[in-house]
Amino acid sequence: MSVKYIPVQWNKNKWWYDGFMLAGVVGFLWVFLYVTPEILSHERPINPQIHNARAFGACAFFMMTIILCIGPLARLDKRFLPLLYNRRHFGVMTAAVALTHFSYVLNWYFAFSGTNKYEALLFSNTSYGQLVGFPFEAFGIFALLCLLILAATSHDFWLKFLTAPVWKRIHYLIYFAYAAVVAHVSLGVLQDQQNHLFTVVFVASAFTVAGLHLLAFLHERKAGDPDAVPDTDGWVQVCHAKDIPEARAKIAVLPSGDRVAVFRLEDKLSAVSNACAHQNGPLGEGKVIRCLITCPWHGFQYDIRSGRSPAPFTEKIPTYNLAVRDGVVLVNPKANPPGTYVEPVEV
Amino acid sequence: MKPPVKKDTTPFFVGYFKVPKKLRSFLLIAGVAVVAFMTAFGLVSGASQDDPGDGAFRFDYGRQTVTGVIELLPYPLLHVTEGNDRIKPGHTLMLTAQGKSGVFSRAEPLEGQKVTASGIILERGALNMLQVRGGARGLGPAEGSGAPPVSEPLGRWKLAGEICDGKCLAGAMRPGRGIAHKACANLCLLGDIPPVFVSTKPVDGSEFLMILGKDGGPLPAIAYDYVAQFISLEGDVSRHGDLLVLRMDPATIEVMK
Repeated sequence: MSVKYIPVQWNKNKWWYDGFMLAGVVGFLWVFLYVTPEILSHERPINPQIHNARAFGACAFFMMTIILCIGPLARLDKRFLPLLYNRRHFGVMTAAVALTHFSYVLNWYFAFSGTNKYEALLFSNTSYGQLVGFPFEAFGIFALLCLLILAATSHDFWLKFLTAPVWKRIHYLIYFAYAAVVAHVSLGVLQDQQNHLFTVVFVASAFTVAGLHLLAFLHERKAGDPDAVPDTDGWVQVCHAKDIPEARAKIAVLPSGDRVAVFRLEDKLSAVSNACAHQNGPLGEGKVIRCLITCPWHGFQYDIRSGRSPAPFTEKIPTYNLAVRDGVVLVNPKANPPGTYVEPVEV
Repeated sequence: MKPPVKKDTTPFFVGYFKVPKKLRSFLLIAGVAVVAFMTAFGLVSGASQDDPGDGAFRFDYGRQTVTGVIELLPYPLLHVTEGNDRIKPGHTLMLTAQGKSGVFSRAEPLEGQKVTASGIILERGALNMLQVRGGARGLGPAEGSGAPPVSEPLGRWKLAGEICDGKCLAGAMRPGRGIAHKACANLCLLGDIPPVFVSTKPVDGSEFLMILGKDGGPLPAIAYDYVAQFISLEGDVSRHGDLLVLRMDPATIEVMK
């Protein structure tokens, strides 16, 4: 959390996170660039520029694969949630690696002619009417533009400026970018492969991403948040008070589609919106720490009674009026304005 | 009496706090797994690259200077009349300038004349090409006269293979053929680099044929859609010196699977 914008709010965990991710990238590139040429028994080596372009391109693909696996893994097993914490840094790294791939390609395949290399990139192959021989570079350009947009807007300034819903929609571009990369590779380098080992790993990676998302979807359907049950006076039943663990919450889907999170703290209950003001993270999966609801994604905090971030922070979330009748928690589905104080209700 | 309050002991991570003890080993394993997977993927991806072939610029041969007669097909050919230790008289060389440019404009005024050509050889098996130096030192008139050898018709053939740009194929790029290289090949061909058809089966002893349009003109525009693909086509083959030339019939192009 921050009251002013600085490039990166470093902390020990971010250093560790970036350290591991960077070590993975360095490991990939070092092995690809410096170890495998010794293993390959080619009479003459692949051009260094092509070798480098392939290394950075393949690295960017596997980085995107890991990025896209983190989300569903965190939904399937909460222990993966910390991997979400600093994922944006890994995304920016991915954009940089992809840009390096683009640079090698542009300055090799599309250089050395009398034509501007950017123009050459666009007109050298215009066989858009066929599958084999399709200008697969177009998919790569699209994916790179997506990654650059995501990297450029990754800072919290843009999140606040664009608002969380708009920002999240923009950042869904990562899925289109990944699909474009799959098409880019499938219609490009895979068409020429004689050794199919890379093809197998590539296809397995893409299926892993798709499979994990499907599993997470099915998991959400089976064990997702229950619908609130209508009660009298327009209020809704959320759960039994005894089912809410200390310092944790139960989530329910309101008739409007919004989610409410009912927290327990020392035998008193409070209800707030389930959506964190930062990235719409699931607050109900968070925990109350020192009277503050703490988001499981990035640790944004809100007073359990008012939905206000502690000073000097200014974020606010809606609160809900609630009541307990015969041990059942009832919530008025009409949200209070963000930051409205509501006295906690004793169980 | 109130029922006991449930307790959720699931470790809870907050980025700016210390990592809960119960999560530390898990996250350490996850971090090491990312590094291990990435390194393994780097090994698999790098070590599964195909052999790009033996084509290369032969800088190790040094600069080659030969004399011969220019023939425009329209891509310029040099029929060597006075060679050296590496390039023998009677050999036919395709010519290229530096980068992705041919030498048509420089060779056109010298058509049918005796010239001296100087530059670096690109070589891939039996295929070779001379990248001439800039200016008249690379390609200039020589004393004496000569005439290109009479071409020998070899009839109509149906061939399977790939249209490539002759320069990358000969070794300017490794690999210098295939779908991933298609845009580069097109750019070379647009720059008047001689196009070459790589046949899956040798034609009169050669698997490399310079490829022209049906009328003997430059590679037709429609052929660009099929560059770098495995295709079959028909055309008239003729021998020019020791180089085979295929005049393709675009209507016969078929994409092979």
